[in-house]
Order: sequence, then C-alpha cells, then structure tokens
Amino acid sequence: MIAAIEVEKRFEPKIVGFLCRWCSYAGADLAGTSRIKYPPNINAIRVNCSGRVDPTLVLKALASGADGVFIAGCHPGDCHYTNGNIKTLRRFKLLQKMLDQFGIERERVRLEWVSASEGERYARVVKGMTEDVRSLGPLNWKRTVEAVA
Amino acid sequence: MKRVGVFVCHCGLNIAGNVNIKEVVDKAGKQQDVVFAIDHKYLCSEPGQALIKDSIRQHNLDAIVVAACSPAMHEPTFKTIAQLSGLNRYNCEIANIREQSSWVHDDVGEATAKAHITVRQSIRKVRLNEPLQPITVPVTRKVLVIGGGIAGIRAALDVANGGYQVYLVEKSGTIGGRMAQLSETFPTLDCSTCILGPLMVEVYRHPNIKLLRLSKVEDVKGYIGNFKVRVRQEPAYVDEAKCNACGECAKACPAQVPNEFDFGLTWRKAIYTPFAQAVPPAYVLDAKNCLGLLPQACGECKKACDKFGTSCMDLDAWPRIHDLEVGAIIASTGYELYDATKLTEYGYGIFPDVMTSLEFERMLSASGPTTGEIKRPSDGQTPREIVFIQCAGQREPETALPYCSKICCMYTARHAMMFRHKVPDGQAYVFYMDIRAGGKGYEEFVKRCQEEKGLLYLRGRVAKVYEENGKLIVKGVDTLSGKTVQINADLVVLAVGMIPSSESHELASKLKASLDANGFFSEAHPKLRPLESPTAGIFLAGAGQSPKDIPETVAQASGAASKVLGLLSSPTLEREPTVAQVVGELCSGCGICLSLCPYDALSLNAEKIAEVSEALCEGCGTCIASCPSGALTLRNLTDEQMVAMIEAIVE
Amino acid sequence: MQEMQSYLYFPGCSLRTVAKDFDRSAKACARALGFELKEMQGQLCCGAVMSNVDDNLMTKAGPNRILARAQQEDHTLVTLCAGCYNVLKRTGLHAKLASSSQQVINAFNEESFNGGVDVLHFLEILRDRVGFDAVGKAVKVPLKGLRVGAYYGCLLLRPFGEMKFDDPNRPSILENLLVRLGCTPIDYPARTDCCGSYLGVSSTGNIQPLSGSIIRSARSCGASLLAVSCPLCKYNLESSQLQNGKGPPPGEFLPVVYFTQLLGLALGLHPEELELDPRQMQAIREAPTPMVQG
Repeated sequence: MIAAIEVEKRFEPKIVGFLCRWCSYAGADLAGTSRIKYPPNINAIRVNCSGRVDPTLVLKALASGADGVFIAGCHPGDCHYTNGNIKTLRRFKLLQKMLDQFGIERERVRLEWVSASEGERYARVVKGMTEDVRSLGPLNWKRTVEAVA
Repeated sequence: MKRVGVFVCHCGLNIAGNVNIKEVVDKAGKQQDVVFAIDHKYLCSEPGQALIKDSIRQHNLDAIVVAACSPAMHEPTFKTIAQLSGLNRYNCEIANIREQSSWVHDDVGEATAKAHITVRQSIRKVRLNEPLQPITVPVTRKVLVIGGGIAGIRAALDVANGGYQVYLVEKSGTIGGRMAQLSETFPTLDCSTCILGPLMVEVYRHPNIKLLRLSKVEDVKGYIGNFKVRVRQEPAYVDEAKCNACGECAKACPAQVPNEFDFGLTWRKAIYTPFAQAVPPAYVLDAKNCLGLLPQACGECKKACDKFGTSCMDLDAWPRIHDLEVGAIIASTGYELYDATKLTEYGYGIFPDVMTSLEFERMLSASGPTTGEIKRPSDGQTPREIVFIQCAGQREPETALPYCSKICCMYTARHAMMFRHKVPDGQAYVFYMDIRAGGKGYEEFVKRCQEEKGLLYLRGRVAKVYEENGKLIVKGVDTLSGKTVQINADLVVLAVGMIPSSESHELASKLKASLDANGFFSEAHPKLRPLESPTAGIFLAGAGQSPKDIPETVAQASGAASKVLGLLSSPTLEREPTVAQVVGELCSGCGICLSLCPYDALSLNAEKIAEVSEALCEGCGTCIASCPSGALTLRNLTDEQMVAMIEAIVE
Repeated sequence: MQEMQSYLYFPGCSLRTVAKDFDRSAKACARALGFELKEMQGQLCCGAVMSNVDDNLMTKAGPNRILARAQQEDHTLVTLCAGCYNVLKRTGLHAKLASSSQQVINAFNEESFNGGVDVLHFLEILRDRVGFDAVGKAVKVPLKGLRVGAYYGCLLLRPFGEMKFDDPNRPSILENLLVRLGCTPIDYPARTDCCGSYLGVSSTGNIQPLSGSIIRSARSCGASLLAVSCPLCKYNLESSQLQNGKGPPPGEFLPVVYFTQLLGLALGLHPEELELDPRQMQAIREAPTPMVQG
C-alpha cells in the first residue's frame, strides 16, 4: 500500500480561510513575525469580523473547489464588535447539521478562536486542519453532494 | 473596467529571500484588468512611494494592489499615497505576502505559489471596489455628563476647562455622590468632604457648567456628534438662586422621614438639604413625603421662608423639560451596595447590630447620625468588640456576586483602625479571604492599620451570625490556625459588594450602551479602550463601569474628558465609509438584521424597509450574513467580492 | 372521589429498616391527605453522601440506575430521606449536563439516563401539590402550641446552587407546615448546622460538638421536641444525648420525631399507625404549652 503512494503526487488540500482582522488575522501575522512555519494550504480572506461569514459563502467555497473552509474569530468575550463571534458560532452549529445532511465530513469546516497574541496556536491549528483535510482526501463536491441530491 | 497597477515589494530579502518576485510580477501582469506590474526593493521608502505615484500617473491607473507586508503595517501609508496621486484611497488593496507567505513557508515554490494566490485575490477585490468618501458628520460641541459624583464632577470640570459647555445631570438634590458620604478616604485619611467640597464649588461656579439637579435623562436620540437628549428636572419648590440655606423652612416642617443620606439611621424633614455642604446650597422639598401639595395640606415651610427667609419658595412649581443637543455623553452613574438582606447567614435586617460598611461609614462621620461616635443601633451603647466581615456576598458565584469590589479590604482596614482610635479599649476582628491592597501606598496603609492599632485579622469566612443574650455570636474559621472561631461581638460590619446604580439599566437602554453580565456599563475593549462604550459617542467614568477606588475614578474621568475633548476638537467628524448598505428593492422588512447589530445601527423606516445609520455602523458585517434576501451589503466587502476572492483561491 | 393521585416513591435503605417509622408514617399521612406513595420498581441503595464524590464515577452508577429505572414509570420521584433527596436530585442535574463522564456512566450501567426526572421531597408535594392550606384544613387534632424545633441539617439545603429547596441559612418550609398543624415553631440558631452525619456511627464520641450543640441550642430556645427529615440526623441527635449508654433524666431528654409523625398526629391518625413509641407520646402529651407557662 505505502509503496503505491508517490511522494510528489501527495494530495494538497485547498482550504479557504476567513480571518477576522482584529484577532485571528493579527494572530496569523504574529506567527509570521515569529517565523513559525506551517503548511501553505490555507489562503486567508481578511474580514472585519467572523460574523461577516455567511454560511452560504462557506458552501460556495466548497462548491467552487475548496476541500475545506477555515473560519477564525476572536475568543468569546473579546470580539471587537462585542459579540459577532457568538453569532458566527450559532451559524456554525447550524451549518454543521447541513454538512451532515450533504454528506460532507464535519472536519472539512472548522471554526477556531485565535487571539492576536496566539501566533504559535495559529500555526498549530493550520497544521492540524491541513493534515485532517489531507487525510479526508479531495472533497469532490459533484460526487458527494450532487449525488445525494 | 479598471486599470489596475500591481506593485510587488522585495522588502529587502524579507520577501525576496523566499518568494520568486519576478514570477509574481509576471503572473500579476497577466491578470484581467492589470495594465502594469512592477517590483521594488522597499515600497514603503521614499523612492518606493515615488515609484507608485509616478506609475499611477504614467499608466493612468485607477486602482492599485501593493503586495508587501501585512496591511496592519502600512495600509494607511499606501492608501494615502494613492490618494495623493489622485486615486480614491479605497481603490488601494494590500496583499500580505510577507507575514502570511514568505515568512511562514519553508519552500520557495510553496511561498511563491501562495503569493500568486494572495495577489490574485487582491486584484479581484480591488476591481470591484467602489470609490468611497469618508462619512462626515457635524459635531455639536457640547457635552452631557450623567451623574454628579466625583467621576462626573472631575469629567465635567475637565471638559469645561477645555472650553466647552457641559450639562451635568444629577438625580438627587446635590452633587457629591458616594464620596460625600465618606468620613475619610484611604490611604491618606483625608477628610472626604474637605477634598471634595472645593471641587463641588468649582463645578457650581464654572461658567461652562450648567448643573441640573433632581434631573433624569428621559430620552436620547441621535448619534455621535449629534445627540438630542430630553432631561426631566423635578421641581425643588425652592429657587436655587435665592435660597440662602437658612433652614427656617425645615424647622417649620412637621413631616419627618428617614434620611437616605444616612441610610435611615437618622431623620430629616420633608424639606431638607441632603448634607451641610450640598451643592447647590439650596433646600429641596421632597414632594413624595410632604404632607400634601395637591391639595396643599400644610404650607408651613413657605410661610417660614416668607417670614424669616428670602421668600424663595414656590409650591406651585412643575417639572421642567430640558431638550439638550450635545456631541458626546459621559455616563458616570456610580454604584449602590448589594442588598445585604439577601445574605441570610449574617442576619442583616433581622439583628439591628449588623450593619453595612456604608452605614458604619456614616456613623464614623462627624456629620453623621451619631456625630462620629460609634454606637450600637440596638441600645446606643458603645460596642467593645466589632467584627468586620470582608467579601460579604462577593466572590460567591453560586449565591451572590461573583466578582470582587476592589475597595473593601482598604476601607475595612480604615474602619477598623478608626474604631480602635475612637474606642481604644475595643477590639476589632477582621475576617478576610485575601487582602487586596494594590494601589499606591495601599499595602503600607493596611500594614500600618494592622500593626499600629492591633487589629486581629482572621483568614477565613464567617458561617453564621446570630443573636444570643444581647450579643452577636459570630461563627467563623481561621484557616491559618485550622480552628473554628467564635466571637461574641457587639457589632458586625459587612463589607458588601458594589453594584451598579439602580438607574443604570434604564439609562443604558436609552443610551443604547451595552451593560455587562453584572450590569456595569461595558467598555469598548477591557484593555485598550476602557473609557468608552462600544456605542460611538458614549464615554464612561467611575464605578458605573466597574468597581474602583477614588484615584482610579478620577483618572478615568479625566481620561474620558480628554477623549471627549479630542472628539470635539473639530467641528466635523469623519467616519470610515466601509459600512453596511441596504438595497431597498430587495428588503422584505423581516427585521432579522435589527436584533443582530451590536450598535443598533439598523432600523425599519416608515415603509418597513431597513435603514442603516451610517454614523452608528461600525462595518462588522454581521447583518449582511444574516439577510435572507441579500438586501444588505457591506461597502467594499460585498458578497460579490467575497465570491471573487474565493474563486481566486480555488482556481 | 376519583382515583387517588399517586406519586412514584423511593424510600431508600434506612426507611425500609431502622427508619420504618418514617416510611409508614409518611404513607399513612399521604393516605389521609388523599394521595398515594407508590414504591418504584428495581430499587437499590443510592449510596448516600458517598455518591457525591467527584473523583470516582463508580459511586454514581447506583443513583443513575435508580433514576433510569424511575424514568420507566414516571417523570417525578418523591423521597423522604434527606440523604436520598440530596443524592438523587444532584445526580439528576449532573446527568442533564451530558458530560463525557455521564456517557461513561451510561455505558457502564447499560441503563441510560440523561436527565428528565424531577426529584421532589415529600415536603414539596405537601406544599406545591396538596398545598399547606389544604393540609391545615385537614387537621383534626391541632397540636396546640406544641413547641417544635424544626431541624433541617445539611443535605436538604446544601449546596444551594443545586438543591434550591429553601433558603440555606433561614429556611422556613418545615415551620410553615408546623404552623398549620397548630405547633409553635421555635427558631434556634443551630437548626441548619450539621449533626455529624456518619461520624455518629464511626466515631460516636466526636459528635458532641455537633449534635450536642444542636440539642443545647434548641433546648435553650424552648423547644420541647425536634422534628427531622433524616434517619441519620435522628440517630445522631438522640444518641448524642445518651452518655455512656445511659440517658439523661426524663425531663431533660429532647425527643426527636419525624415531621410526618407530627403531621399524622395532627391529621388524627393513631400513634401506632405512625409508629410513635410511648416515651415520645408521653413527651408530646406532657410538653409545656404557652398557656400552661402563662
């Protein structure tokens, strides 16, 4: 089995990231300033608040070819806009149920709280999610979702 | 169709060392709408900025993407360059290829590939950006301060000294607040009224301060820079300007009521002055406790005033409505004490010799119910053994308040020390959990109290207080010796917690300022923005925001005042235009967005279409994500742009 | 009259053995008041205070099993013993939290329980379902001025955050009932103090500072007897008055009865039905009343 896998053809998951500018984006920057290395599979879109992230955008990302979506916001109680992150959490819970119904593995969409001082944590989370999605394999939306429909 | 220019920065070797700059430039140049792409060693430097300016002119660019360090570093710099070159500053996007690319990926190939995507994202976004103008709102250069305690007094004076008109609204008949009820203040043992008095007088005499006593805020409309506040002022039935506080009215008044300034430990008449140094120095008729005004049952006060006084009373007075226009509001509503009757283990309200700390404070005061002598409420005898219980109903999430009120360790030390000073053969016991004496001179003060006055500090809690044979049996524990302790006390003083003033709940909803889980005014950020509410234009000072001592209160008040002075320094105010917008034709009037906005910036207009107050909107975007009809959009971060960026990533 | 209202009932171990009088008197009172206590199927020991430890999930297997079985029959479970009440009520609250430890317990028990059973004390049935006023109306023999000290102990009241049975420092539910029976409830400071619990069994000599001071406190405030809701409290309070196996002089012994026994007497039931012994009855009959003391 192992011999059959060629190292060059290792599956590289494509993950769309939504990072809130006040906490998690700053945390990601801190990881950079601290020169902490992590895989390049997550591409970050900077939003003002994780509350901006409409669940339909998450599904759009998956439908457009992403293998995973990563949403990061401030820790509860720290939101720059008071409680946008709590609203994100509510939507996320409902989104998870939808993903179940679509037959999409829950691990593909992840919500994390990363503060502006958690550079190391950001790197760890990115590493973790990349490996998780890698082991799940490519999403193949057409096959997974449109087959169920 | 935009003409986009892409500028890729080497940042010395910071980017160039791990990213193939030439490839990035080449690929960027091939993107749709990109007419020019170039690199430079240090774009933030003078030559770099000059390059951008020249390129914009030469190639007629109307939008730029700067691929460099994080926008957190230089976004304002590059936006300003764009603006100086004739572009709208919102047609400038930053692609972060340093902190989130070059510096974090080992492999040059990986870092470069990611840089391509990041640049592509920014290009797709900037193509759809609208040219925006900052939102300008006028600023009314007047200020409202709600609450006339030491916080409100200090803030009002600082703003007034800064040259602006201040309205100071106070619900009672006098300013001074809690500090006026104190005997001394820690750690200096200054006489509280002596240091507060001059400030109160300064407020009264200040040409820029209009003091509205017996007043409450009834309604608040508008937004930062443009508040319209309706204040209702109850009548004092006494002309402030003419009254000379001779007191003849009170002598003649037959109605006696418990004096709330002394927590019911003494009496006052229905017409009264709250305390001797009250400001304004004029009497107040308490209509609720007067024998009757409609119809007039008595009128002795007016008769006495006409005969012996300055004839300054008017028993036919009515409340006055003040409609104020202000640019900023400072909320300094202060605190009350937690209801000690809820602490059933201590028997407050059942045993007369169990008192709260503020009641004991009034007893210590020379102007108080016992002219400064310590007496048992039950029999008027001098107590010889007093037990002070710290953390009464505090630091107890299950049954009472979860938090610490910060000042109790300090004032308990002062109380115990003053008691020993007045009753030298008395003994004071203090039950404590911790001693929190973190301010300047505080630790030294507590130690001094303990050592000089021989106070007995017992580390442990009190389980129960009950009465037996005229004594209060206090059952507690001393954890340092590991023994249970029983003290047969004459008096028990409870250091009860500080809770926000009972008015704050209603006021907060009028101001649309949020309260935290304990009812205190929320600050915009607990660390970096402790002086302002998340609601723009509302500033906070004093214990109404969180329990604190006088030095912190004064510091916070001056800080809030300085923020207000900054706000008022210009006749207009500019706010970021990247706010929410409603496409009226798509709005179904469902109202889902209204409840989600932390700033109450959304409302339904007369046609039941949602409207955004641009002055209040902070641009978080939470409402956009909730709109089922897609009627809400966030300027320059529309769903269209989000999708464009998503597609740029997954291509 | 329609079919009697019946409540699912968990007596616990003591009420079937050493505290049979508590069980029988309660059942007799229930019948007199028009309802029935129906014992649940599949009873086992609740574990008493041992089940409240947090570091050994095994202790929770028993009470969870009780509640799972009770749930098969009803969503309300009535108890009398303060210990059972405390354990079962708190077990029910923790089960609702659906924590990982609850999953472990359910997997072990193979009888899953995730909350949904209201654990009530007999006093709550009297207060909320029957109503103290209705109880008052059903009194046939008012216990004229009998000076009773209600003793609550710990387990009925604490921890307040979970029990929420009554004010933990100044409770009044028992006094409210006793007043309806014609008694004069005596307020004494030690009525919520600990009796010593199992120390009374394991190191009898050591409960003097606890149970002993409760007796002294009640007597000094004028109580003629104590009314309790826990077999262990009764045992401790009585045994603390026996020095070296001998009792104090007759006039100085403070009898301890279950509140259901006083309730039964007031409802006109026979002392034998309530399993009151002659000494207790003599104490009740000869207790000084306010009128006698003048």
